[in-house]
Amino acid sequence: MVMEMTQKNKHDSLYVPDIATITDIKELTPTEKQFSLKFDDPVKSKKFNFLPGQFVELTVFGVGEAPFSIPSSPNEKDFFELCIRNIGSVSGALHRLRAGSKVGIRGPFGNGIFPYDKMMGHNVVIIAGGLGMAPVRSLLKCILEDRASYKDLTLIYGCVEPQSFLYRDEIAEMKKRGDIEVQLTVDRPDENWKESVGVCTNLIPGLKYDPEDTYVVVCGPPVMYKFVIIELEEKHYKPENIFLSLERRMECGVGKCNHCHIGDKLSCVDGPVFSLWEIKNLKEAI
Amino acid sequence: MLYKVLDKKDYKDFLSGLVSDYKLIGPKKRNEAVHDFVPIKDLSEVDTNYKRTTLPPAKKLLFPSTEELINYKINEKIEVLPIVKSEEIILFGINAWDLNGMNFLDRLFTTDFIDDNYIAKRNNLIVIGMDSEPAETNFALKMGAEYAKSGFDLFMSELSDKYFIRVGTPRGAELLAKYSRASAEVAASDFSEYDRFMEEYRKKFKVKVEIESFYDNFEVVYSSTRLWDKIAKSCFSCGSCNLVCPTCFCFNVRDDMRLDLKTGIKSREWDSCMIPDYGLVAGGHNFRPSRANRLKQRYRCKLKTFVDKFGAYSCVGCGRCVETCLAKINIYEDINAIKEEVSI
Repeated sequence: MVMEMTQKNKHDSLYVPDIATITDIKELTPTEKQFSLKFDDPVKSKKFNFLPGQFVELTVFGVGEAPFSIPSSPNEKDFFELCIRNIGSVSGALHRLRAGSKVGIRGPFGNGIFPYDKMMGHNVVIIAGGLGMAPVRSLLKCILEDRASYKDLTLIYGCVEPQSFLYRDEIAEMKKRGDIEVQLTVDRPDENWKESVGVCTNLIPGLKYDPEDTYVVVCGPPVMYKFVIIELEEKHYKPENIFLSLERRMECGVGKCNHCHIGDKLSCVDGPVFSLWEIKNLKEAI
Repeated sequence: MLYKVLDKKDYKDFLSGLVSDYKLIGPKKRNEAVHDFVPIKDLSEVDTNYKRTTLPPAKKLLFPSTEELINYKINEKIEVLPIVKSEEIILFGINAWDLNGMNFLDRLFTTDFIDDNYIAKRNNLIVIGMDSEPAETNFALKMGAEYAKSGFDLFMSELSDKYFIRVGTPRGAELLAKYSRASAEVAASDFSEYDRFMEEYRKKFKVKVEIESFYDNFEVVYSSTRLWDKIAKSCFSCGSCNLVCPTCFCFNVRDDMRLDLKTGIKSREWDSCMIPDYGLVAGGHNFRPSRANRLKQRYRCKLKTFVDKFGAYSCVGCGRCVETCLAKINIYEDINAIKEEVSI
């Protein structure tokens, strides 16, 4: 028999974005800006609930669409933030927009998320490299807003230079809190730099958590994963408790265009966050 | 499933009834070498005696090479309107493997999220299948695609003096009742003739493919640079294999603003996993930088990925890519080469 095919929701065509207004733009570094966005339709605004690790497809009309992960907290309602590097055609166009401009948003997408609920009652280590801070910030905020539900928390954050750190004010605040250990490292220090020098990987051997009781989250440039994972496995962290957010080229975000495949998986619908266990045998994942 | 038989002498009446009342797309001989599925004005144009068409007929209709997705208007507010086009069409004479290719696309475009653009067209497509002769490079039998179990409204198999018709949908049954004198009763002798017919039909597929062991063997040879460089070294990265494939579905989405700078359109167009910028992201990192890497992924996508996801290969064995490849890269020879590599 021919499969009965009906539209689940007649009003939501897959490729139709909702219109959102940029309410605020903050320059985080010379190349990265934080955009605050609010949906024009209050109903959509209310319905827009996301989880840490998910992403949206953003349209700059006349230019195109690109995927961006959501760095703000899922607990913040009515608006969300995106942290975007000026590097491609869509992101470049976005950097030229001003507050009040309108863009299109589809999403949130992604079934693979950072499992903030499973992490409750355990230690959490978050390792971010460069722009990899953007996706994990959502998780970090989510944990800090419910800090008592988790055991010890460490953030390892590495950048090329001291001025490339995102969210510097927030990191300074975190350092004052006392309930999160923040370790920063840079490849190229300047004369004022007082913290570590080198890649994030160097800081992993110093972690003192029980591997049985610890979740690890990793996000950074493609080259970073391989080395971080070698170090984590050396410390016997369990592959099912290590979570990685994997970037790929995406055109649709909904499992149709096939560009984001990683072996048998699609980053958009199976990820973008995967446990190391899921992708261990996918040879081109990391 | 219902079964009916249609006398051969009634076939023309049936077809001419369909041609006069519907927009009907069927196989037509273009020249000595080429058949193509085109709109049929007169039933004399229909020639179901074809071995292969360059483009798979169902994909051409349901997932065209470029397709408009949304219109937008920029004023004080931005208005976005979906473009979903669909008309009732009969697709006549599609063979089993191309039908199975369509069944794959049906599944893909309805899994996780429903793709309105595809489904609107699919719901309006009446499919009448018919067996066709396999070409020399056809290996549909080994891929389990020489026989279609579903996806059609009617499927006609040509026996000695009649057509044995499998009726897949109520819509198919109505068409048959309205436009033909197909008998209500199918005799036991019709079933045995159909059984003999299929047995003989399956013997026409001669290509040997060691597909059974591919699932594991592929992982064993995956990192063999020597093997994959040898297979991929002649590849031109042209993407012809993707364009003719009944199951290839990769696409790009583009956004074009009109000259008035007030209105624009988003559309999708076929992409190819063989071309160099397929995995290129902003910033310049390319996740699929080499020919060998891209070809490997194509084979994985065709022969493994959907075995896990849908329980079937996404290659139907039509052999179009083998015929079309300028560099003579041959998927079943490569499957066999992998078997040989592992079994030594």
